[in-house]
Amino acid sequence: MQIQARLTKLNENEILMYLGYRGQEYTEDVREQMGRCEKEVLKTAVPRLVWRRFSIEDANFTALSLQGNDIWELLDGCKEAVLMAVTLGPEIDALLRKKSITDMADAVIMDACADTAIENVADHFEADLRKELKAEHLFLTDRFSPGYGDLPLSTQKKLCAVLDAERKIGLSLSPTFLMIPKKSVTAILGISDEEKPLRKRGCEVCARFQNCTYRKEGKHCNAK
Amino acid sequence: MQNRLILDGGMGTMLQAAGLGLGERPEIFGIAHPNVAERIQKQYIAAGSQVLYANTFGANAHKLAETGYTVEEVIAANIATAKKAADGKAKVALDVGPIGELLEPLGMLSFEKAYEIYAQIVKAGEKSGADLVIFETMTDLYEVKAAVLAAKENSSLPVWVTMSFEATGRTFTGTTIAAMALTLSGLCVDAVGINCSLGPKELTKLVKELRQWTTLPLIAKPNAGLPDPATGNYSMGAVEFGQCMKAFPKLGVSMMGGCCGTNPDFIRALADALQEAEIEQSEGNRAEESITPLRRGVCSASQTAEFGKVGGCGRILVIGERINPTGKKRFQQALRESDMNYIMERAIEQADAGADILDINVGLPGIDEADMMTKVVKAVQSVVSLPLQIDSSDPQAIEAGLRACNGRAIVNSVNGEPEVLEKILPIVKKYGAAVVGLTMDKGGIPETAEKRIAIAKRILEATEKHGICREDVLIDCLTLTISAQQKQAAETLKAMHYIHDEMGLHCVLGVSNISFGLPQRQHVTTSFLTQAMCCGLDFPIINPNQKEIMDAVSAYRALSGEDKDCAAYIERFAEVTSEKMTGVSCSEMTIETAVLKGLKQEVANLTKGYLETMPELDVINGKLIPALDLVGEKYEKQQIFLPQLINAANAACAGFDLIKTRIAEKGGESVSKGKIVLATVEGDIHDIGKNIVRVVLENYGYQVIDLGRDVPVQSVVDTVRRENVSLVGLSALMTTTVSSMKKTIASLRENGLPCKVFVGGAVLTESYAMEIGADFYAKDAKASADIAKQTLG
Repeated sequence: MQIQARLTKLNENEILMYLGYRGQEYTEDVREQMGRCEKEVLKTAVPRLVWRRFSIEDANFTALSLQGNDIWELLDGCKEAVLMAVTLGPEIDALLRKKSITDMADAVIMDACADTAIENVADHFEADLRKELKAEHLFLTDRFSPGYGDLPLSTQKKLCAVLDAERKIGLSLSPTFLMIPKKSVTAILGISDEEKPLRKRGCEVCARFQNCTYRKEGKHCNAK
Repeated sequence: MQNRLILDGGMGTMLQAAGLGLGERPEIFGIAHPNVAERIQKQYIAAGSQVLYANTFGANAHKLAETGYTVEEVIAANIATAKKAADGKAKVALDVGPIGELLEPLGMLSFEKAYEIYAQIVKAGEKSGADLVIFETMTDLYEVKAAVLAAKENSSLPVWVTMSFEATGRTFTGTTIAAMALTLSGLCVDAVGINCSLGPKELTKLVKELRQWTTLPLIAKPNAGLPDPATGNYSMGAVEFGQCMKAFPKLGVSMMGGCCGTNPDFIRALADALQEAEIEQSEGNRAEESITPLRRGVCSASQTAEFGKVGGCGRILVIGERINPTGKKRFQQALRESDMNYIMERAIEQADAGADILDINVGLPGIDEADMMTKVVKAVQSVVSLPLQIDSSDPQAIEAGLRACNGRAIVNSVNGEPEVLEKILPIVKKYGAAVVGLTMDKGGIPETAEKRIAIAKRILEATEKHGICREDVLIDCLTLTISAQQKQAAETLKAMHYIHDEMGLHCVLGVSNISFGLPQRQHVTTSFLTQAMCCGLDFPIINPNQKEIMDAVSAYRALSGEDKDCAAYIERFAEVTSEKMTGVSCSEMTIETAVLKGLKQEVANLTKGYLETMPELDVINGKLIPALDLVGEKYEKQQIFLPQLINAANAACAGFDLIKTRIAEKGGESVSKGKIVLATVEGDIHDIGKNIVRVVLENYGYQVIDLGRDVPVQSVVDTVRRENVSLVGLSALMTTTVSSMKKTIASLRENGLPCKVFVGGAVLTESYAMEIGADFYAKDAKASADIAKQTLG
């Protein structure tokens, strides 16, 4: 099964969301600046992907000894699991470092673009894998990352070791389990025979995002 | 052909087949099952391996941290196993991989700490009886440099290095093949090559490139083809692997083996194939060994400035001269305040203007030059990827610069004085640098070309004696001012002509001094520059920010043919014509509008206007800050959002820079409404939030001491005490690093330092901030400015 790391046009709303946009004035100048920054991020990023598919009983998978309830809830009923790691590469870190010296506004926008970009790469992998699995009449759960819910961030260490992420895609960890290059995502996904409900996506995929009156007040239309 | 050696194949894959789990440490497995490792290694010897890599790849202090074993124990045990398997029939290599934590600036590990980690490994390896050390699967040239220096300075073992490249010819961290070859040839390792990465077919192209940049023995240790992503299994069979490997001896590779996915069958197939190849060769079916001329240059890890050939119209490499405090008050102030951001900006500016190499000079009375050189070299190479020229007369500062430099540098300079040559050339040789020789000595600068040439010959003799090859010697014939010594211009050109054409050496020259004291200096400077380039100057040291000078270089490159089809020339000047639209400054523009709209040039122009009638501080307090306040208010009311707030701060910055430079030139105290220390706390690497706060606070006129990210508690405490700081801003983005924020605050309090602390970061709240002992919670950059005003005024 060949799945390539893919990065495509970014979701503008998602970038705006990271920048704390809530319906403020969005001038033509800033729109242009955003476009320029997105282009530079897309040009600089070198997306890389490593993933492995395991039986849930495979010794290499059980060696992760995943803690907490949330991840097991996700994997409930799954016979297989997938580990993945994606990164935009160190070039983006270098770009952000340089921009934060010469133009902080560009740096902030590019940082938001890079966050959006790495999610984009992870989303593509998820979608591509889901499609491949469909041919096998299998279903893929959502992805779940170390640090989400009650899955400790320290899970990163074993996850990266099992994926050999340092050697395969140049992804390493700080002693505090932060990923370097910074714009990287690791995750665990389950494969099951039955379709499971997937999580609802956030406001950034909504058509009303840019002028939603709920968001302006910091609320959601589906607020509890 | 150098002596051919057959290396071994994969160890990890073999151990996995024998029960090692994914993510488990193979070195520990090797201690627990010595017979397994020995059996595998014996199979390799039987297959024809002449060098065994001991099972010590990850035996470093970082990776063994939680295993309960020491580095020494693990290395001793695994080397002993390999030696037992070798039984005198093969050499045993101490196999050393990456530490597993990335070095600064990308990661958090310092170069010096990496050096210590490798020194420990190498000492243990030599003590355990290894025959050589191989650093393999490396991806970061800086880490390799730390490793090689550690090996050379702590053992007498031969040092081999192989790095792991992608098909693009770069490692994951961006190191190029040329940069690896130049840097490691300079450091005099014993062999260099490529391992892992790819299969043998894909590797041949990379090896061809490598051969062009070094005369060292070459190593190739590819994978068994490419792996299946879902399972991790490799695709190529042993026989096919062996056949593919036949290509390498023809490319000048003398040491061959296999990496991931290979086993003893592959090595046997390799040995057979090489024997076949030898028979084919001796039967006269000899493949042409492509003998390419050796390419030379200096480099950073990711960028090479390739030297042109001497003679004829050579390649021009522009050396940017702006990182130098001489005659620049604002730069001197930056050095005294350790303001790296200012210096990094000067580096980026020159890189953007087209410099090929950056000169780094930090000599200033009252400053520890060696220490500052290390700091500045690290700061500069964290933001630009140009090769560096270390400019100092102090041997300690030169060594500090060469050591910290990630790549291969030039040393500027030595002169004809034997004492100077004897002191500095050994350092140049040790780090494999190129060197600038000034044609002067104790007697000063000779007046005639002949005498300067004589000194150049003396310098060349000395460099050759020290084993520095003549292609790496750059002679500076020195520029004198025509307003004082008019005849000297011709002498300089005459000397250069001879040294370039007759002696066959590269020429370097600081050009701008020629026009000192004259009006409209650029005319004389550019004309002299062009004449000098015609006489053989190929390394002009200039200010690349001066457009006319770079225009002259661009024109020369078009004329000499270096700029193929004049493409770069056309690109440079085509841009200019389409630019005439901008720069229309509206005379009615107010400072408020200019700041709000983020218009840098307009803010600078308005500030210039105010300064004609108003004192500096009044411009700050009466014009720039009220304008920023207005923007802050709009941000708070959610009329504008983050990018606009920072654009405004950036624009105001243009005004502040002007004022700062003006005050520095006047020799006045720097404008500061108070000092603020900012830091992203220990263990955290997220610094964007902190950087936003820095920009905003600087624009309110505060002097920000930015300690960076992952800042140890003690470093914050020491700085606050030393600089007598009364406000500290701490940032942490992760729940897991808020604890070190708490520790930092506690330590400031325990040390009785009377400073206020404000904190910010995604996971913090007002109550959480109070709980960990902060004085203020800053929800955003605007709030930080309010806190600063409240505390410092």
